[in-house]
Amino acid sequence: MNETRADMEADPEVAPEVLKARFGRDIARDFDLDDPMFNDRFDEVLTFMVNKCPISFSKVGTGYHLVNTNEQVRRVAQDWRTFSSAKGYMPNRPEGLPYLMPEESDPPMHTNWRHKLNPHMSPKVIATYEEVIRQDCNVLIDTFIEKGECEFISEFGALLPGWAFFKNVLGVPIDDLAMLVEGVEQGTFALPAEERPAHMARVFTYLDTHLKWRATQPKRGDVIDTILEGVIYDDGTEAPWDHKVSILVDLTFGGIATTTFVMSSAIHYLAMHPEVRQQLIDDPSLIENAVEEFSRVFPPVIALGRTCTRDVEVAGTEMKEGDFVMLTWGAASRDPRAMEEPEKIDIKRETILHSTFGVGPHRCIGSNLARLELTTTIEEWLRRIPEFSLREGTAPVYVTGFLRSMRELQLVWPK
Amino acid sequence: MRVKIDGEHCTGHGRCAKYAPNVFILDDDGYNADRGNEIDVPEGEEENAKRGMKSCPERAITLVAE
Repeated sequence: MNETRADMEADPEVAPEVLKARFGRDIARDFDLDDPMFNDRFDEVLTFMVNKCPISFSKVGTGYHLVNTNEQVRRVAQDWRTFSSAKGYMPNRPEGLPYLMPEESDPPMHTNWRHKLNPHMSPKVIATYEEVIRQDCNVLIDTFIEKGECEFISEFGALLPGWAFFKNVLGVPIDDLAMLVEGVEQGTFALPAEERPAHMARVFTYLDTHLKWRATQPKRGDVIDTILEGVIYDDGTEAPWDHKVSILVDLTFGGIATTTFVMSSAIHYLAMHPEVRQQLIDDPSLIENAVEEFSRVFPPVIALGRTCTRDVEVAGTEMKEGDFVMLTWGAASRDPRAMEEPEKIDIKRETILHSTFGVGPHRCIGSNLARLELTTTIEEWLRRIPEFSLREGTAPVYVTGFLRSMRELQLVWPK
Repeated sequence: MRVKIDGEHCTGHGRCAKYAPNVFILDDDGYNADRGNEIDVPEGEEENAKRGMKSCPERAITLVAE
């Protein structure tokens, strides 16, 4: 294991020509999140990075650092004064993409909004959605159980998180979900990246219209009313309208684009591991712990960025003011310095440490909702469809950038 | 056993209360209600408290005394 940049440079396994021969590129000094090789060899690359490259670098666009160990990711994520979110979380951010509040802001502005929004997403409030989510799981399963087969993403995985979020949190009709999912997906993964802002613009326009309409309606006391009410920033100004719209976009983005991946990966894993499936069927109280382990090893958000506000050193690497730094959550969650046998998937793991919901003040605001959706999905799926497997001759289809997503998962079961 | 919950670093992951609900209480926002303070771990709850501490992604809970 290498602890610093100097260790890494002295390690023959990390020599540029060795990396080029093994990965097709020098992933320590010229990494690319959008490289199809990363998509195809995801686990191998992340494990290599966390063990061998405490810090790596990308030359794509204006370039960025990647911080890969559990300890350093935590340090950088918590030190928001040195590593700011105000210039966005995407490397080489395309022109014309508005900043998302509160994710792309720092305290105290960020804190003002989180204080207002957190009560809507607390464990207590989220727990009241359980029955609706459980019903929705069954409504979806009813549509395909008799067929003895389904394409999990389009028939369940891409729908349930959207339903859970729209019905319970936003109160917007689920009819428009497909358009929003498409907008968010294309806004994240479309290549060339210059096409992404146009897709995101559709999502902005839709939610802007919805927010304007809600401003004319009687108050419901929900999160939308809280957003409309707004906050006063520390300089005495009121949060402008476009900040309010961007909050709605940010919540929607997080609410529909991410949980699908953990869910699909967990179901895929269970399709491939009948013995684990049986353990969960025999003792459903293990499901919550399994969800935590699945969240650790199947991270939908691989890495998010910060901008250095001053010159600083991380793991023996000098970073300059203005440098862009990605925090590789996915690598930090499989750091052997912080946990035993990180590459092993163990649903009975005694303590599960991971960074899938981020670290620091920007911790995923939807983490409690995501956990509930995942737990309920696995409970209901195993109750209704205890025996299932991957359709022979198929394999899951993935897409990876700074997020990771599954596009296709073909399942079959006895009718 | 006595532990301290860091006031700034707790960001509401809720892992502590999941593993040790008799030790760590969450406030209405889902953050540790005792953040910024030290608390005594009730006898018999030490192992649960340790699991809660170890699973905190922020390392916000530290041991003050065994």
